[in-house]
Amino acid sequence: MLTLGPIAFAAPWLLTALALLPILWWLLRVTPPAPKRQSFPALRLLQELPAPEETPSRTPWWLLALRLAAAALIIVGLARPVWNATAGEGGQGPLLVAIDDGWAAAADWPDRLASIESVLDAAARAGRRTALLLTAPPAVPDAPRITGLMPAEELRSRLAALRPKPWAPDRGAAREALAAWRAQHAGPFAAFYVADGVEHAAAEAPGFAPLAEALAAGGTLTLARSEGRPTRLLPPPRGEADRLVLTVRTTPLPVPSEAVVLARTGDGRTLDRAVVRIPAGATEAEAAMPLPLEIRNQVVRLDLDGVAGSNATVLLDERFRRRPVGLIAGGEESAADVPLIGELFYLDRALSPHAELRRGGVEALLARRLSVLVLADRPVNEGRERDQLTRWIEAGGTLVRFAGPRLAEAPDTLMPVPLRAGERQLGGALSWERPQTLAAFPEGSPFQGLMPPPEVTVERQVLAEPSARLTGHTWARLADGTPLVTWDNRGAGRIVMFHVTANAEWSNLPLSGLFVEMMKRLVALSAGVGGADGEAPLPPFETLDGFGRLGPPQPGAQPIPPARIESEAPSPRHPPGWYGSGAGGEAAHRRALNLGAGVAPPRLVTGIPAGTALTTIGGVPAERDLGPWLLAAAMLLLVVDMIVSLLLRGLVGRGRTRAMAGAVMLGALLAGPALAQDGNAALATRLGYVVTGDAAVDEISRTGLVGLSDFVNRRTAAALADPLPVTPGRDDLAFFPLLYWPVLGDAPQPSAAAAAALNGFMRNGGIILFDTRDEGSGEGFSPGSRAALRRLTRDLSVPPLAPVPEDHVLKRAFYLLQDLPGRFTGGSVWVAREQDRANDSVSPVIIGGHDWASAWAIDARGNNPYAVIPGGARQRTLAYRFGTNLVMYALTGNYKGDQVHVPAILERLGN
Amino acid sequence: MASPPPSSPSAARLTIPWAEQLGARLPPLLVEAERVAATVMPGIHGRRRAGPGEAFWQFRPYVAGDQASRIDWRQSGKSDRLFIRETEWEAAQTVALWRAADAGMAWRSGPEVPPKQLRADLLLLALAALLLRGGERVRLFGLPRPFAGRGALPQIADSLGAMAPTPEDPRIARHARAVLFGDFWGRLEETRRALGALSAQGVRGHLLQVIDPAEETLPYAGRIRFEEVAAGLAAALVPRVESVREVYVERLARHRAGLAAVAAAAGWSFATHRTDQPPEAALLALHQALAPQ
Repeated sequence: MLTLGPIAFAAPWLLTALALLPILWWLLRVTPPAPKRQSFPALRLLQELPAPEETPSRTPWWLLALRLAAAALIIVGLARPVWNATAGEGGQGPLLVAIDDGWAAAADWPDRLASIESVLDAAARAGRRTALLLTAPPAVPDAPRITGLMPAEELRSRLAALRPKPWAPDRGAAREALAAWRAQHAGPFAAFYVADGVEHAAAEAPGFAPLAEALAAGGTLTLARSEGRPTRLLPPPRGEADRLVLTVRTTPLPVPSEAVVLARTGDGRTLDRAVVRIPAGATEAEAAMPLPLEIRNQVVRLDLDGVAGSNATVLLDERFRRRPVGLIAGGEESAADVPLIGELFYLDRALSPHAELRRGGVEALLARRLSVLVLADRPVNEGRERDQLTRWIEAGGTLVRFAGPRLAEAPDTLMPVPLRAGERQLGGALSWERPQTLAAFPEGSPFQGLMPPPEVTVERQVLAEPSARLTGHTWARLADGTPLVTWDNRGAGRIVMFHVTANAEWSNLPLSGLFVEMMKRLVALSAGVGGADGEAPLPPFETLDGFGRLGPPQPGAQPIPPARIESEAPSPRHPPGWYGSGAGGEAAHRRALNLGAGVAPPRLVTGIPAGTALTTIGGVPAERDLGPWLLAAAMLLLVVDMIVSLLLRGLVGRGRTRAMAGAVMLGALLAGPALAQDGNAALATRLGYVVTGDAAVDEISRTGLVGLSDFVNRRTAAALADPLPVTPGRDDLAFFPLLYWPVLGDAPQPSAAAAAALNGFMRNGGIILFDTRDEGSGEGFSPGSRAALRRLTRDLSVPPLAPVPEDHVLKRAFYLLQDLPGRFTGGSVWVAREQDRANDSVSPVIIGGHDWASAWAIDARGNNPYAVIPGGARQRTLAYRFGTNLVMYALTGNYKGDQVHVPAILERLGN
Repeated sequence: MASPPPSSPSAARLTIPWAEQLGARLPPLLVEAERVAATVMPGIHGRRRAGPGEAFWQFRPYVAGDQASRIDWRQSGKSDRLFIRETEWEAAQTVALWRAADAGMAWRSGPEVPPKQLRADLLLLALAALLLRGGERVRLFGLPRPFAGRGALPQIADSLGAMAPTPEDPRIARHARAVLFGDFWGRLEETRRALGALSAQGVRGHLLQVIDPAEETLPYAGRIRFEEVAAGLAAALVPRVESVREVYVERLARHRAGLAAVAAAAGWSFATHRTDQPPEAALLALHQALAPQ
């Protein structure tokens, strides 16, 4: 080992070969260069020339220097120089490598192993024996133990097999293991501790400082930490009416940072992402992820983007989805179900698409787990029934009550606000008052964001006793300010009161779509229930590994009682993951054990022993073997030498050829990135999409059209090139048969030039597909796009529109289609009315809200990154088929429509 | 690097417009023909006797056996005898053309000069165009039939590839003329033998040496290994080309003098053409050498 400044040589004796360089220089100098070669037809005249004086021809000095440099590089490279060689850990005796391999180490696990590598290199050079201490308990439940002494190379192979564990390290047990090891191996040792920097034990009995002290007792301790890298923890989110409230816990950072949370389905597709902004120095931050209920029910796990580890993953079990709703009406059971009159008829229609409904008596319903109980004009009996209900509400149930004649007569105590006896009638025959409309929903109401339609009126209602706290307990009120929906918390649950009936007797609210939305949000607001009832321990079904990947249960995993699953800190016996029977795909009986639910918020460690050497994980470049680089440089010089020799000998053609050959050889060596060629729209048939300015939407449009073009190219004779972005008014639209235009809520009105260009495009046979991307479940994704569409098309000459008729060419241009789904389905798609004979009845615009591009989109790996809703491969296939029909329609117009006349033509031929 | 020799028919065809343009500035070439070749082919060299031709030769009295339709009634009406009009027998001179096509001809010293092959083909075609315009017949060495008529030039261009590799063709008629293009870097003996054989057939003609300027000036320097373009000769390693240039020029002059002597001995004329000179000069020289004085 020879050290020169930062460079050390592993095989220094090879450097003696440098002494041979002068000999090489002399040899190269006396050998004349090879003669230039020249073909010559008149060779006969040059034969047998008299021998003139032979002038020694010498190699040029710079070529000599080049070759000597290459030779020197080879010699130095073979001597294995190492840059920034670590001198080793110092100290005496063996090297003990201690690693925190708990959940907090997973995020930068490769860097951690790399930091150990260089230490092991130094130990291997010094011939030191090594031992390994892992602080987290192994997967098969056992106490941490120190391995026997072994050569560094053997330890290195063990390190390669190490994986972080999805539970916290047990430093107390590690200290005991160290004490036991010291009893066997007395004498000094050097310790290298790769710490995760997080205190896992309770505050009063810290685990880190005693372990570090014990490690330092052997002589020298080097502590490797990751600086500036926060340890983050994702606890389970809180479900609210129309959103998930996400919390991220972190070790404090001196600067503001942000964490990105991805909501994913079971098969790994990302449904939404939320950015959690963490202020400087904060240890916890929240963000809301607005998700419509249908979408939220598809979310199976939340992941912190860019962080691998069980701490960054939250599995959402049925508690986040399943909302059983019990329905009870006052009076006769049969009367409540009468269509259009019965109260439960409306509730059933409003709730059944997205909730599990149960009927029965109070006792029977409460015997099973229930999220919401709806009492429609049914007074609660004193005594046992009320006690049962109160207990259930305080345990987290949501009681929704509707007023009615019976309740107005006899108000009970399970009310959010005290009620006045009797009801108020508005707009009756004997009243001057008019039926009241609804006011906008107040701030903080779960109904906020819904628009009360003006035609919803209330004719009768029960009135709340006026009080100071009434305002804070009102979620909806009439235009005159009287409360319509009131609420109150009771324990962990709440009571919600509708001051009207659940049928159309007192108001026409139950007839409106608003009622459906309100019920939907109320159910979403309630606490979910999930998992198997009962006390039988749940066996592990799938568990997370240290990197947050689901896999078969780890060998030491044991069943866990359902009561403990909420708060259990993960351990080798109970690793995070799914518990319960997974039999028959019955996801409803799974419960999730999440790391974020059971471990304390991460705190930074304190109490590093004095005299500890500190290094940074992944910060300073580790030692680097320079040998391969020097040899590569030598090869480069030799290649240059070869080119120069060829040039000198005239073997490479002159002038341009020579320069080209040199460039080709250099290019082959350096392999520079190829220049991307800008596509020219005119050279091929291709689709276009209108640039919206929102990079994410534009990317969806692009990938969507790429996917569609690919599908069309595979299935039809059309050959579409890659789609191009288009800005109307700036780009020439004449080359595109079809423009896809996603309409954003904040899209501005197009300029005069853009409108003129678009009108010209449509007049000359182009087709624009406007996509508001808000049909059905998507309305939460694209608010305001209907208004934006009206704004966009104000200056465009859009013909009179009609919903796509059954026999429209768009439905039969290539495939026979019933409906035209995209990411969403069920909405109507609008085209120009048939009688417009201009442009051969080809509709210049197609308007819909199915978010087709998301359904068509394929990512770089050929997957479909966006889930279709309600889902299924069939819907995506139909979406692609619609796209194919659309392209065919754009390319061939009503050509297929002529087939409609085939029977008539045949008939005429027959006559 | 040398481009491939334009011996393929299509490549030679490409030079036709150029060749015609070259020849357009010269008058149609009527080859000097002291003794017209003994052919029956019609041409412009009157044979001073009655025969097939265009020009009037004589009236002769009608004898029994002549066809009645041949009687010239205008002449016969002047007297009581019947006359028959006879035209002069006009025959064409045949010029046989040859150009070398060995690998050395495809060589050129740099992109600024054309390959010798290209220049030789061009001169051959230009000369052929002139001859055809003059009504002469052109034949190529090694090809069975001569060409005639203005439209024959493309056929000649197409047939260049089928030409005999050496200037030998026993089918060439006596008193025909021949023009040979080539660099003639081979031994003098070979050239002498070829010309001797031709002059023994009674063919006279012209020898045009087409060379590259580098072959005359040897513009190289330093240590160079000269190699034959085609296999055959051993390579010559010249340590300093500058020092042998004088010797080379002197040897070149000797070789050229030898060629001129060989040509003169066979009754032929000899000229040299360098590819860096305009082809018009060479064509003019050829025109003068072949046309009657």
